[in-house]
Amino acid sequence: MATRVSKTARRQLRLGLLFCAPVILGLLIFMAYPITASLYYSCTRYSVMKPPVWVGLSNYQQLRHDELFWKSLANTAYYAVIAVPLGVAVALGLAMLLNLKVRGQALYRTFFFVPSIVPLVASSVLWIWLFNPQNGAMNALLRPILAHLGLGEPPGWFADPAWAKPAIILWSLWGVGGSMVIFLAALQDVPKELQEAAEVDGARAWHRIRHITIPFISPQILFVLIMGLIGAFQFFTPAYVMTQGTGGPVDSTLFYSLYLFNVAFADFKMGYACALAWILFLLILLATAFIFKSSARHVYYAGDGKG
Amino acid sequence: MLYRVRIAVFIAIALTLSGCARQATEVNGRKVIRVWHVWGGTMQDGFKRICDAFRASHPDIELQSVFASNDLATNQKFFTAVAAGRPPEVIFVDGPQVAPWAEWGALQPLTDLCDQAGIKADDYFAPCWRQNYYQGNVWALTFCADPNFGFVWSKKAFREAGLDPEKPPTTIDELDRDADALTKREGNELVQIGLIPWSQYGAANSIFTWGWAFGGDFFDYEHNRVTPDDERVVKALEWMTSYAKKYDVTKIAGLERGFGAAEQNPFITGKVAMMCLHIGGIADLARYAPNLDYGVTYIPSPPGGEQHSSWVGGWCMALPKGAANRKEAWEFVRWLCASPEGTAAVGRESGLFPGLKASPYFATIQGKKHYSKFLSILQECRHQRPVMPVQARYMRELARAVDAAVYGKATPREALAKAREATQRELDIVVKGRQQEGGAQ
Repeated sequence: MATRVSKTARRQLRLGLLFCAPVILGLLIFMAYPITASLYYSCTRYSVMKPPVWVGLSNYQQLRHDELFWKSLANTAYYAVIAVPLGVAVALGLAMLLNLKVRGQALYRTFFFVPSIVPLVASSVLWIWLFNPQNGAMNALLRPILAHLGLGEPPGWFADPAWAKPAIILWSLWGVGGSMVIFLAALQDVPKELQEAAEVDGARAWHRIRHITIPFISPQILFVLIMGLIGAFQFFTPAYVMTQGTGGPVDSTLFYSLYLFNVAFADFKMGYACALAWILFLLILLATAFIFKSSARHVYYAGDGKG
Repeated sequence: MLYRVRIAVFIAIALTLSGCARQATEVNGRKVIRVWHVWGGTMQDGFKRICDAFRASHPDIELQSVFASNDLATNQKFFTAVAAGRPPEVIFVDGPQVAPWAEWGALQPLTDLCDQAGIKADDYFAPCWRQNYYQGNVWALTFCADPNFGFVWSKKAFREAGLDPEKPPTTIDELDRDADALTKREGNELVQIGLIPWSQYGAANSIFTWGWAFGGDFFDYEHNRVTPDDERVVKALEWMTSYAKKYDVTKIAGLERGFGAAEQNPFITGKVAMMCLHIGGIADLARYAPNLDYGVTYIPSPPGGEQHSSWVGGWCMALPKGAANRKEAWEFVRWLCASPEGTAAVGRESGLFPGLKASPYFATIQGKKHYSKFLSILQECRHQRPVMPVQARYMRELARAVDAAVYGKATPREALAKAREATQRELDIVVKGRQQEGGAQ
């Protein structure tokens, strides 16, 4: 009896593995192998067409003297520190507004979500036009307002090194639809009784948000924050499209991934690019770990008894 | 059940293998050559006719052409194909890419084939040949020699500004004076500018253009050193920067953001009155603005600079390393780049200039408006971009230096010195690596 069961189990295991094989093999071949291989290549000089030459840690040592490495890191940090929290705030604000019971609620929700399904390249091209300093919609809107307030002229956006990053950050807010939907779903789970009880006790809207809503959706905020941070570190497409890959003007939009891409595919320094990629991986790991640790006290998971 | 699974697995494996199967190198006894070319858009039909002419005179070769635009993404595919040992038989490569691609091991030397065919350095415009000669070998032949640049001026804009439309500037002083007269503002915004010195096909090509016109140079071949902060290149960048100060760089960049291609070319829309134009641009102007009143002349230069300064660009053809059917592939390259019939077909169908000095094509454009001027520019051409393995990096560093200088983030001298340090460091790494490996293969 016992052997028969184990025989069936073995058979099922074999079949199960067979059916899982495409995924397992896929993960091994297309994820595990390249990741491990990149660690090896990061210690070589490698241009793809000739065999790699082992150079030890010299790629990592060179990084310290690489001005563009530091500059691209600074640009990326600037973007991450401003765009990610701003994105969370805007997404949360929108979600709360769209959670109000008003006529055409579904329509509004659709409007605000639609931009996040526009392909990145298409939306980048679109925003280049919106940000056109002379004829763009943005400045057409700003010009009379600024003139009325006596604040001079609207910025040159991508024509001005000081305004190129803020322009990209503004662009990024256009795509908060994804996070907004997450928050919208989370808001449905905030207990109505608590809200009503607080209202009866005379708590104002801000206090209800601060002490009831936010704690209840804090796990989702943490999730959006971390995913946003990872995305910010890997930020590439719009910078590549909006500046034709130059990272200009004056390196102001040279983000880490853009520099990595240039090193890998314009200079074909694959070893150095792998080293850059590993540093990026470690930075994301550290930043994520830091947020996890520092947020532990502020995040409330319903039902885990910690509250 | 298990039986069906086995069948499914078998079919999956069979499909995978057939996908990996190598393409035939022969069809019906005719050798196949696949060429990855860069001629899309308006040049597509012309290149097709060139290929048809080759097919007609070479019935024993099966020529297959594939469009591959030589951008970073497409080039990855090419290098992957080389690494996998089954590249196309012929590849188009941009002039300055020849040395790096040779260094990386993507190309095979053509020296023996040139010798056998009796092709000599002297057959080509000197900079064209120099561009394809690296580490003692020939790696490519010039398909088209672009004389960079013709200096074009809008006669209409000259008339409107009260300038003599038949008298383009020949010195930098005259250029500055004309540029000033040709610049128009509406309120705070520029609506027309005389010239944007750093906007001649990108910042790197601009500094090459003006650097040489000012009498400078960018590479010391004897000592294998980059020299972007050559005294005269610094002078050139200082002059370029003066436009950024005079007309406000952010305003100029704002104007540039409205530039487009084809009909929206700023020279056609009248937003720019003077600019550098490569030979392909002439055909574009004829196509999109047949009535545009303009002239072509030499690039202005300062006293003590280089008169009639220009440099050569353009596409070259090469054989990838590990490519099949070498003899037939070479015949295609030789016919297009080194034979009288082939080069004539290239000129006729593309409107571009062959690199072969004795091409019969040149006789057909004698006296042809604008083209004959471009021909004299080509004949006097002295430079090509530095033939070196870290060319892409050098171009990027030069572009960054120009950017930093015109935006006032660094003085021209500082910016160019930084470009020198960064590029030289990269060059030294390559040279050191080559010494360790015992020479470029």
